[in-house]
Amino acid sequence: MIFRWLFVALLMFGGIAQAAEPELLEPEKAFAFSARVLGPDAVEVRYVIAKGYYLYRDKFRFTMEPASASQGEPRLPAGKIKKDEFFGEVAVFRDEVRITVPVAPGGHDGRIVLTAVSQGCADVGVCYVPVEQKAELRLPAGKGGGAPVAGVPGRLGEDALIAQLFHGEAWLLIVSFFGFGLLLSFTPCVLPMVPILSGIIVGRGHQMTRMHGLLLSAAYVLGMAITYAMAGVAAGMSGALLSAALQNPWVLGAFAMVFVVLALSMFGFYELQLPSALQSKLAGASGQMHSGHFFGVFVMGMLSALIIGPCVAAPLAGALLYISQSGDGLLGGTALFAMALGMGVPLLAVGASAGALIPKAGPWMESVKRFFGVLLLAVAIYLVSPVIPMAMQMMAWAALLILTGIYLRAIDPLPQGARGFARISKGVGIIALVAGMAYVIGALSGSRDVLQPLSGLRGVSPGGNPAAPAVAFQRVGSVAELDAAVAAAKGKTVMLDFYADWCVSCKEMERYTFTDPAVQSRLAGMVKLQADVTTGSVEHQALLKRFRLFGPPGIIFFDSAGNEIQGLRVIGFQSADKFSAVLDQALGQR
Amino acid sequence: MIQLRRTLLLAGVGGLAAAAGYAAHLFRIGGFGGASSTALGRKILESRVTGLDGIPTSLTAYRGRILVVNYWATWCAPCREEIPMFVRLQREYSAKNVQFVGISIDQIDKVREFAKELNVDYPLVIGGMDAMDLSREAGNKAGVLPYTLVMDPLDRIVTHLVGGISEERMRTTLKPLLK
Repeated sequence: MIFRWLFVALLMFGGIAQAAEPELLEPEKAFAFSARVLGPDAVEVRYVIAKGYYLYRDKFRFTMEPASASQGEPRLPAGKIKKDEFFGEVAVFRDEVRITVPVAPGGHDGRIVLTAVSQGCADVGVCYVPVEQKAELRLPAGKGGGAPVAGVPGRLGEDALIAQLFHGEAWLLIVSFFGFGLLLSFTPCVLPMVPILSGIIVGRGHQMTRMHGLLLSAAYVLGMAITYAMAGVAAGMSGALLSAALQNPWVLGAFAMVFVVLALSMFGFYELQLPSALQSKLAGASGQMHSGHFFGVFVMGMLSALIIGPCVAAPLAGALLYISQSGDGLLGGTALFAMALGMGVPLLAVGASAGALIPKAGPWMESVKRFFGVLLLAVAIYLVSPVIPMAMQMMAWAALLILTGIYLRAIDPLPQGARGFARISKGVGIIALVAGMAYVIGALSGSRDVLQPLSGLRGVSPGGNPAAPAVAFQRVGSVAELDAAVAAAKGKTVMLDFYADWCVSCKEMERYTFTDPAVQSRLAGMVKLQADVTTGSVEHQALLKRFRLFGPPGIIFFDSAGNEIQGLRVIGFQSADKFSAVLDQALGQR
Repeated sequence: MIQLRRTLLLAGVGGLAAAAGYAAHLFRIGGFGGASSTALGRKILESRVTGLDGIPTSLTAYRGRILVVNYWATWCAPCREEIPMFVRLQREYSAKNVQFVGISIDQIDKVREFAKELNVDYPLVIGGMDAMDLSREAGNKAGVLPYTLVMDPLDRIVTHLVGGISEERMRTTLKPLLK
């Protein structure tokens, strides 16, 4: 018995010893690079340096393309002195460094490519090889140039690309969150409270103009929104800390499970809310604030945001989890702020119209709640979709659509003289049902395309027109074949595309991006290789592993010497414009 | 009260699920399989590097010995720190079939200068970014220096060590491999 315990203890100790190895950041994360334009004659390079890491002051190198754009020495801050056993006293940068790089105003046509080389180490006693990063910048013409134009980082690692995707859709996300907030206010535990709340805010017995009532409500909503925004910032930042862990399938799976749990609460299986003791304490605190005064009402709003009712708790948790995936504090804060503003709209409407503008409470509010349940389930599927087989993904969508259809009474008969709402709801239900069935049929008939679930029935290879493939790829199936092909391409830039039948964004690339004439003309000068890893054989795994990819999609470029062009990978779908820009850079590496 | 308990329970279940998921992931990526660590060891031995004489070469000449492959550079302070220890241990363990090899991610003249200065008498070669990539494959995920691999006479990677190594750790790592 004792031996068994010893054995377990040893195992655990072994585990701990293994974990004691320093957890090191990828260089792009340890030293996050960005560049922006200061004016027609200067560019600012910024490195955000993780805690415990530093960059050497004398190891920076900056070059520009065209070369005529460079002018003078970059201006570096003094840095901190670090005593080094071998190098003596060296200047290093920690936390953050901004470097101004002068540009010859006449030496370019408005566009420059800045290449920055940096080198740094971590306090735990390791150093990174010099990192080369590029930024493509657009400079204002002439000296009278007004506002600085934001630089577009030219070379992006895959993480940066994902972050950029979030940025591209930032407005959409913020507007959606506003919409969700508005919808949330129509759930059964919020809407009936609105008139009461309005009474409390404005304060009874006061002679009050409508304008004053509206402003007080606005102060309350703003207070609430600020609390939400803080939660959003926290979620975004914690996501940034966890981002390495968030990218693996098991954690994604666990997250999806949490979303399912949250969704079930929206269907009324159980209620999630803050403990009632805490709720009443907060309610008491906010009750002590003076109604009718802006500041008092503002604080009331901030506190009330913390009283999270059963209808709001699950969607809010979902929203925060979703935001944490983006790893962006600013976006998280803005999105949650927008959501709170959306939730505040009915309150403002009551304040402004004395209740005339508000829809009547009723059983329809339960449907709004269920809608959030469906939404949370959809997010769960979306989260795990990159790591589960396509057939399973299609079945999951099918199940969600069909169950939604059934809940919308798609197959229940309509009562005589049904009202418009019931008819619309049944119509939507039938659409969901049919779409769900299409997914089932598609999945069973071998289609592996979420965009075209029934394409498998057409009798041709999914992906459309088999006669004219957009790009004539040379197939490579193993590391050896790849090496041979890259070696044979001497002098040419090589593009390697990882493809699989079940990879949606590969198909999108094929259909929308590779067919673009601008892309095709750039591809003409390259050797184009494709690794079809649909079957996932051992050779395919080795090939993926070589590029540290989980699986397709992934497009990798090699320069004319046959080395991978670091930092120029394309992971996921890219529009023809963006992809053309990447191809230009790849071709520029020669 | 029931609400509180339920919330706590759910939070606990969620936390456990995440922890279990991450543990499973670590298990999956960690731990060298016997065959693959040999294949990778071979790849590292056979990969092309440049000798200090400027001529392309590989590490295959040291096959069949207990190999300590150290990735380093002259510009990397923690790397320089441990090299005198490697020089000492090389002298001590020469008779025990141990061979130290340094792969420098560096400029050749700087390495020559350094080798002379510190009397490095074990072989040094120059590696490029592809050498760094191989080290990444072996487990140097962040691509840092120094990074040290220990291989047995059958080309199998036995241990990898990220960052500087103490003399004691180097000795305990080598001990079970010595006959």
